[in-house]
Amino acid sequence: MHYPEPISKLIDSFMKLPGIGPKTAARLAFFVLSMKEDTVLDFAKALVNAKRNLSYCTVCGHITDEDPCYICKDQRRDRTVICVVQDPKDVIAMEKMKEFNGLYHVLHGAISPMDGIGPEDINIADLLKRLQDETVQEVILATNPNIEGEATAMYISRLLKPSGIKITRIAHGLPVGGDLEYADEVTLSKALEGRREL
Amino acid sequence: MFIEQLSLKNYRNYEELEAQFENKVNVILGENAQGKTNVMESIYVLAMAKSHRTSNDKELIRWDQDYAKIEGRVKKNHGSLPIHLIISKKGKKAKVNHIEKQKLSQFIGNMNVVMFAPEDLHLVKGNPQVRRRFIDMEIGQVSAVYIHEMSQYQKILQQRNHYLKLLQSRKQNDQTILEILTEQFIGMAVRIIKRRFEFLQLLQNWAMPIHKGISRGMETLKIEYKPSVEVSEDQDLSKMIKAFEDKFSKVKNREIERGVSQFGPHRDDLLFFVNGKDVQSFGSQGQQRTTALSVKLAEIELIHSEIGEYPILLLDDVLSELDNYRQSHLLNTIQGKVQTFVTTTSVDGIDHQTLKEASTYKVEAGVMKQVQ
Repeated sequence: MHYPEPISKLIDSFMKLPGIGPKTAARLAFFVLSMKEDTVLDFAKALVNAKRNLSYCTVCGHITDEDPCYICKDQRRDRTVICVVQDPKDVIAMEKMKEFNGLYHVLHGAISPMDGIGPEDINIADLLKRLQDETVQEVILATNPNIEGEATAMYISRLLKPSGIKITRIAHGLPVGGDLEYADEVTLSKALEGRREL
Repeated sequence: MFIEQLSLKNYRNYEELEAQFENKVNVILGENAQGKTNVMESIYVLAMAKSHRTSNDKELIRWDQDYAKIEGRVKKNHGSLPIHLIISKKGKKAKVNHIEKQKLSQFIGNMNVVMFAPEDLHLVKGNPQVRRRFIDMEIGQVSAVYIHEMSQYQKILQQRNHYLKLLQSRKQNDQTILEILTEQFIGMAVRIIKRRFEFLQLLQNWAMPIHKGISRGMETLKIEYKPSVEVSEDQDLSKMIKAFEDKFSKVKNREIERGVSQFGPHRDDLLFFVNGKDVQSFGSQGQQRTTALSVKLAEIELIHSEIGEYPILLLDDVLSELDNYRQSHLLNTIQGKVQTFVTTTSVDGIDHQTLKEASTYKVEAGVMKQVQ
């Protein structure tokens, strides 16, 4: 099918986004044509602004429009605990919980030799720098519970062992509020492994 | 359990197929290359989410089509269960009782099959890969946890091999990463080996009397797991881990030199002994066949004891490969309790009650019809 150039360009642009194939891209592009010009302008501005005005916090690596980010700046937070996560999205998820009052450190990835990602490619060096002053007493490793996340957690814990800082790993197992009978076998066996004494 | 209904769409050479089956022996007759094995394969794929003949799912899709669909209804002790599997070029979509299953480990095991095809006669004689595939498939049918652990193991193995290659070519020299990958590797390897030990013990318990029966009381079958790292069945996990750690620290330089993980469950093997002799090296052709047959029949009993129902048996072109005595032993075993599918070009010369009572279907150029 042949589209006029402006719209085929727009379709191509949408296809650069994750999870969007040619059909969805075409649908989105045609929807944009039907939108009011103001709305389209706002949309375009939002895209550009997000890119231009957001950067990574030089302390923790979270996305931010000010440096250091609002979490690192906040003096009410507990500076003795750092929670290490893979992704800025993980910080947002943790923050939604409103239970954790410490600081974060975003790695931007996990160690995976297959994908050519080694410890030097993720934000580990900065974490070590942050731990040099004495305030931090605990590092919580909250990388994903898969092979790569687990390897990353193991790697960081080895690096930090000599420093004597307390290192913890988040638990995995049954989701809260769910019924035991609905959990799959794999999750159940993990939960059983991670059982604790009462 | 038995499969009540099967429908195929764009599967191999079938544009469409609709069939009802009863809980008995179903004979599928037809000339070569008409699509007999494809029907068997589709039942197998519906149970295991992959083919026994190919690892490339795209081959299952009919020429020039985008997707293939297999639907079945399995009658179990607790009622009928609809199972769907759609295979497209992008991947597989699996549904059990109309609910989509994200993980294949949640799909496999809802329907249990035992396949006995000519290549299974090579179980004893063939390369170790055939035997590893056999145990992985069979444990997987009764344990979703094993499927998960196996897939984790494959991922760690890939990562570790990749990293060994980086060390080999000196693109990397951080030993800590190798140590971590090795620790992850060992942790998963010992669980897999433990499960395999347990499974083989059970399998042997069933296979021994069956083999004795087929060999007219002359032969005693033993199955042994042959690990590539010296661990034994009576060790607990921590002892096994210790054995692995010792081995891996010894072979570390060699592994880096070769750039590949040389020890672990992916290199282990099975041994079969008849009257104390290794069947693979010293057994006759006949003993090897008897062993393969005993193991397959044992599997049927083992699944029955694990899940409380008999699996569906798929005999693809093997009946004619067995002599009269083994044929009737096989047919006696399944008589009246195991739903069985048999493909063959002709039933002439097989004189057994079970086949006289069987339903017969005829396959011709991708069309299957019941013969009244």
